[in-house]
Amino acid sequence: MKSPPNNQNLIGRIRRDWREWLTFVLLAGPNLGLFVIFTYAPMLNNVLLSFQEYDLIRSTGTWVGLTNFQTVFNSSQTGRILLNTLVFTVASVGGVLLLGLFGGLLLNQPLRGRNAARSILFSPFIISGAAIAIVWIYIFDPRFGLLYTILKWLGLTSPNWLGDPNWALLAVIIVYIWRNLGYATVIYIAGLQAIPADLYEAARVDGAGLWARMRHVTLPGLAPVVFFLIVTSILSSFQAFDLINVMTRGGPANATNTLIYHLYEMAFINLSVGRAAVIALALFGLMFIVTLLQLRYLERRVTYA
Amino acid sequence: MKTSKTISRRNLLKGIALGAGAATLAACAPASQRPAPAEAPQSEAATQPAAAPAAPSGPTEIVYWGFSGGLGNTEDELVKMYNDKNTGVTIKREVQGNYEETAQKLTAQLAAKSDLPQIVLLSDVWWFKFYRSGSLLPLNELVAAQKMDTADFVDSLWIEGVRKGVQHWIPFARSTPLFYYNADMLEAAGLEARGPKTWNEFMEWAPKLVQKEGDTLKVAAFAHPGAASYIAWLFQCVAWQFGGSYSDAEFNIKLLEPDTVRAGQFYQDTVNKMGWAIASQDVQKDFVTGLAATAMLSTGSLAGVLRDATFRVGTAFLPEEKQFGCCTGGAGLAILAGASPDKAAAAMQYIDWATGNEGGAFWSQNTGYMPVRKSTAASESYAKFFEERPQAKTAVEQLPKTKPQDAARVFIPGGDQIIGKGLERIIISKEDVTTVWTDVTAELNREAEPVKRDIAAMGG
Repeated sequence: MKSPPNNQNLIGRIRRDWREWLTFVLLAGPNLGLFVIFTYAPMLNNVLLSFQEYDLIRSTGTWVGLTNFQTVFNSSQTGRILLNTLVFTVASVGGVLLLGLFGGLLLNQPLRGRNAARSILFSPFIISGAAIAIVWIYIFDPRFGLLYTILKWLGLTSPNWLGDPNWALLAVIIVYIWRNLGYATVIYIAGLQAIPADLYEAARVDGAGLWARMRHVTLPGLAPVVFFLIVTSILSSFQAFDLINVMTRGGPANATNTLIYHLYEMAFINLSVGRAAVIALALFGLMFIVTLLQLRYLERRVTYA
Repeated sequence: MKTSKTISRRNLLKGIALGAGAATLAACAPASQRPAPAEAPQSEAATQPAAAPAAPSGPTEIVYWGFSGGLGNTEDELVKMYNDKNTGVTIKREVQGNYEETAQKLTAQLAAKSDLPQIVLLSDVWWFKFYRSGSLLPLNELVAAQKMDTADFVDSLWIEGVRKGVQHWIPFARSTPLFYYNADMLEAAGLEARGPKTWNEFMEWAPKLVQKEGDTLKVAAFAHPGAASYIAWLFQCVAWQFGGSYSDAEFNIKLLEPDTVRAGQFYQDTVNKMGWAIASQDVQKDFVTGLAATAMLSTGSLAGVLRDATFRVGTAFLPEEKQFGCCTGGAGLAILAGASPDKAAAAMQYIDWATGNEGGAFWSQNTGYMPVRKSTAASESYAKFFEERPQAKTAVEQLPKTKPQDAARVFIPGGDQIIGKGLERIIISKEDVTTVWTDVTAELNREAEPVKRDIAAMGG
């Protein structure tokens, strides 16, 4: 039978606990405070806004119940905007992941000038999105642009990239992939370098060829990195605003209007803050569900080294 | 023994997901929120300067949010001219971006109640939103104290900023659409170098102006802009020419009236059935580079077009259909309600000069915007200017025939973009005109509700 702790021990434990608690508050408090003020309070505010007709200039609102939700979900534009968001996310994340893997494998080889190549590939990621968008508007110009000239050499005519609703979304996706490719490549390279060399040697001894080594050593070794990239890329592609705002402003004829751009349009052009709040909630919900699904189903397949 | 819990990658990813989602939500929420029942905007008495406006007593600095880009450079020169006069008032010009960005920044600053300018440039579709919220200073007393000759302003431009007999928005960079043509191309096609009298006449000209390379249009007879380039402003004139309109002054939407539907069908046919017009990303660029032989553009584009074009540029009145139709547009200057009496008086002193015979003449001659005062247009400097630049005279001659815009475009929040996107669906996506106008009508009706309520609360 256990003997009850004596008073001395109890006081000591309370002191220790108190000290630990204080350390925790001192270390985590400031960050937590900032989160509450700048993230969670506005987030709660957003939920409240979604039930109001809110005047942004006067900062006054009236409660309208579910009207904003009905308006947003019954709008003839919503289906198109959701589809655009889906296509943009799948294509841009898929493109970044696949091309990034190719870039990572290539630039992980002991090639001459690979450091320079890595820097060049990474540089678009640190350039302002607006500047990138302006440059690409010139590249896409169907009569004077760089792409027009290249296609002409190949005997092809240039599509009206940003003016034709059938091409505009693809054009924005191309620029998004170009901008984010370097980031994925660098993460892949880090992942590749973390795979122990003796695994490759063992595989080679077992007679594994290039493809077998790729399949059984490289890809499983990269799984945590791929998982990280999928989660972060999907989240950032849902929030890709700068390129769309500068290149197409959601046009032509809504062809590049995604949830995040529609949110901006609703809040700052139509001044309909309540409906913008509903769109923000929908976007949050979508991102939340996608991430939960990834954590539930995708992470199972990941083995951390 | 307690075990310490370390963060796992899984938790980190969860955290990132939550954080990113929350940040998206947070980005939408305004900095502060004070839910309260909708109330009528502050009464005008409350927003009047406390004391009767007087001439500023000492050196006063006035912050002015103005134009960006090329027009901003010209405006820098205008402001420098004024500051060099050492009147005791110094204008500090700041740039927030285009009309939309300026309005968005102003909205944010009004909510934050800090760092507000005294004077702000507001476009035709934005000033009314700030008037509704009681953010603009009623100007009648300041105008009187400054001894501004209001009768000298072009009447149609002056009255647009008047609500209930009180001036809130003073015409400055005011424009109208003009019909621009490439005189060299018209003559090369065997046509007279002039604008068409009617759209029917232009339909006869158009096939002669078109040049094709295979199926691709190398030169189009005409170019339409997109929603982002204010197609709803230009098409408004065409709707009027066809006998239609967007709405009446009481916000009754008229898009589904037969003449407005006919006008929409005409726009669609120019691109698709008749195939002589293009939907352009940048009409001004396509016109000066010779991709389009003609276009409707703002008078404010004149200086840029003349600078960049390598051919003879002509300007003409807009073509007629059932009748003539042309609207005004552009931007004006407003003083914010929070300005102190001293600053408000100083701001008005600058506005008087910038719209007057010295500043106004410099501004309009160097940009293409219209002289907003009759005496400026009739001045000797303008007579000389018209000799050098006859294209500018068209705008002044067309001005008496113009009328203020439909309420649906300028007074409904987002009205311009709602109609503009509908026009994109008609022209680019080739959707049925009636279907599109039905959708647009529903959206405009919905957006008009709060405006109608506010106007009723303000007593008209």
